[in-house]
Amino acid sequence: MNRFNLFTLAIKNIQRKKFRTGILVFSITLIVSVLVFGVSFILNVNSGVRRASDRLGADLIVVPVGARGYAEEVLLESKVKSFYMNKNVIERIKRIEGIDTVTFHTYITTIQGVCCDIPEATVVAFNQGSDFIVQPWLEKAIGRKLEKNEAIVGHESFLNIGMGLMDAMLFGTRFRIMGALEKTGTGLDNAIFMSDENIEEILQKGKAPLKPDVISIIFAKVQKGYDPYNVGRSIEGEVIEADVMARSDIGKDIISVLGDINMIFSITVFMASILSVLLAWAIFSATVNERLREVGVMLALGAKESHVSKLFFIEVFFIGLMGSVCGVVFGTTLSVLLMKSFTILKNLPGGLNAVDRAAIGVAGFVTGTGICILGAFSPIQRIKKLEPLAVIKGELA
Amino acid sequence: MHIVLKEVARSYFVGKEKIEAVRNVSLEIKRREFISIVGHSGSGKTTLLSIIGGVARPTSGTVLFEDNDIYFFDKDRLSEYRCERIGFIFQFASLLPNLTAKENVLLPVLFKTHGNRDIADSEKKAIELLHRTGVGDKVNAYPSQLSGGQQRRVAIARAFINDPEIILADEPTGDLDEETEMEIMLFFRRMNEEAGTTFVMVTHNSELVRTTGRQLKMSNGLISTVLHE
Repeated sequence: MNRFNLFTLAIKNIQRKKFRTGILVFSITLIVSVLVFGVSFILNVNSGVRRASDRLGADLIVVPVGARGYAEEVLLESKVKSFYMNKNVIERIKRIEGIDTVTFHTYITTIQGVCCDIPEATVVAFNQGSDFIVQPWLEKAIGRKLEKNEAIVGHESFLNIGMGLMDAMLFGTRFRIMGALEKTGTGLDNAIFMSDENIEEILQKGKAPLKPDVISIIFAKVQKGYDPYNVGRSIEGEVIEADVMARSDIGKDIISVLGDINMIFSITVFMASILSVLLAWAIFSATVNERLREVGVMLALGAKESHVSKLFFIEVFFIGLMGSVCGVVFGTTLSVLLMKSFTILKNLPGGLNAVDRAAIGVAGFVTGTGICILGAFSPIQRIKKLEPLAVIKGELA
Repeated sequence: MHIVLKEVARSYFVGKEKIEAVRNVSLEIKRREFISIVGHSGSGKTTLLSIIGGVARPTSGTVLFEDNDIYFFDKDRLSEYRCERIGFIFQFASLLPNLTAKENVLLPVLFKTHGNRDIADSEKKAIELLHRTGVGDKVNAYPSQLSGGQQRRVAIARAFINDPEIILADEPTGDLDEETEMEIMLFFRRMNEEAGTTFVMVTHNSELVRTTGRQLKMSNGLISTVLHE
């Protein structure tokens, strides 16, 4: 049985003006869903970039001068790009103080309808002797190294182009596809992997846009006690034809673009929030004016100012809560459904975990209820100080 | 003495014109008294009742309740006085439209600070009061489902829910037919005699005035004549 108290009184009051309450709830829903969607988008990109760069497992990435952006596109966004530098760079980097381990990849682009029957994709030729990027995943997938004319596909390639246990023609050579790697959480999930022992044969057949003795990218680990930035600077000093990225710099361009989007989004949310505060103020001012007599009666019957405040704040809180909950649900649903329609997010790994989502939800809830409370604050302060004599004398409608 | 008013005045401005609603009124109200106040409209009766009830601060003078000046109380204590010592019956329909008759009667219980605040107990009492004021069959009716007279009786029941020591009634039987009016007066009389409740009642009804213990007349903000003591 529902006991009568300030809480039930507040709920009854909310139910009185359904349309007006609905308008306010709707506006809070919109602002909170924009907030949740926007924050989800930004955090998604941010964490995707971070996760991908961490999972590569290299402290430094060396690419040809000017190819930094291309490398990020391949490693983070699974874009199909090819860029090359001379293979001798490997030995020159190995000699630099602080370098521990070095491995390299050669990216070869397949061209649909010319060399093979699969869509355009990046084929990664890697050195099985030194590799620490693909090898751990390969061990898990087939438990051995790849033989010549064997290839394995990335997790997403398997899903997207349906490449599985079959033979495939790559650059005029028949390759046996040994399976699919588990999800690595990097852009390489969309690539096809083979040993660099196959490069010679590919070059001989001339069906790939590739020259002899070139590689695309070098991954390096630095020795303990060495600062990756300092080692990177040494590499750039010694090898002028190379650009170096430290792990934390990977995706810097994406994140800096994100910073601009973030600012635009923040300004939009801020302005919309002000609008919502004003709407809440207007609605609660009207509500308060309509209820002057009731509040006067309550004060004359012995309600304290705190009772009046509490009653109105419960109403405000509930409206904010309804709007916030709807906004969080709507914004989260939108972010889950639409995330993959953004090019930047299409190939980024991961996504938000439950803790991230909960934190965004709490932020949305605080914003939604905060807007409502802020808007209603001044009308509530006004009404609680009402002198009930005018009410008692019947001067208020 | 239960309540003592000393040189109480209340004035306000309408535009630039100063209205003196109550002028230097002194009055002593004994415990268990039943006082009626008559007077023309605008003579200051409602303002005087509000000053006694702790609702309208006087411009000057003091209002002593059990030897304490109520307008020296802080805001919360003054609210407690209104809630727990006073029962107010307003001259107009004062029910909250979204509450049932029972909930309207229970409203002052929500504001209580001392004594029994148990809503379950108060619910029983609210139903009993509604029966005693003749609207026992309207416990769950909303004000819009009640006639003016029935609403008035719910408001009367509400005034008694916190067992007040003083009832301040502003034309309490205004909307009632003669028979109900007499029933309500009988109820008041019983509460006055059995529960020891003090009554200060504003009325225009000369029949009712005669049934009260002391009759005062107000005009121009002054208690001009004591009709009978």
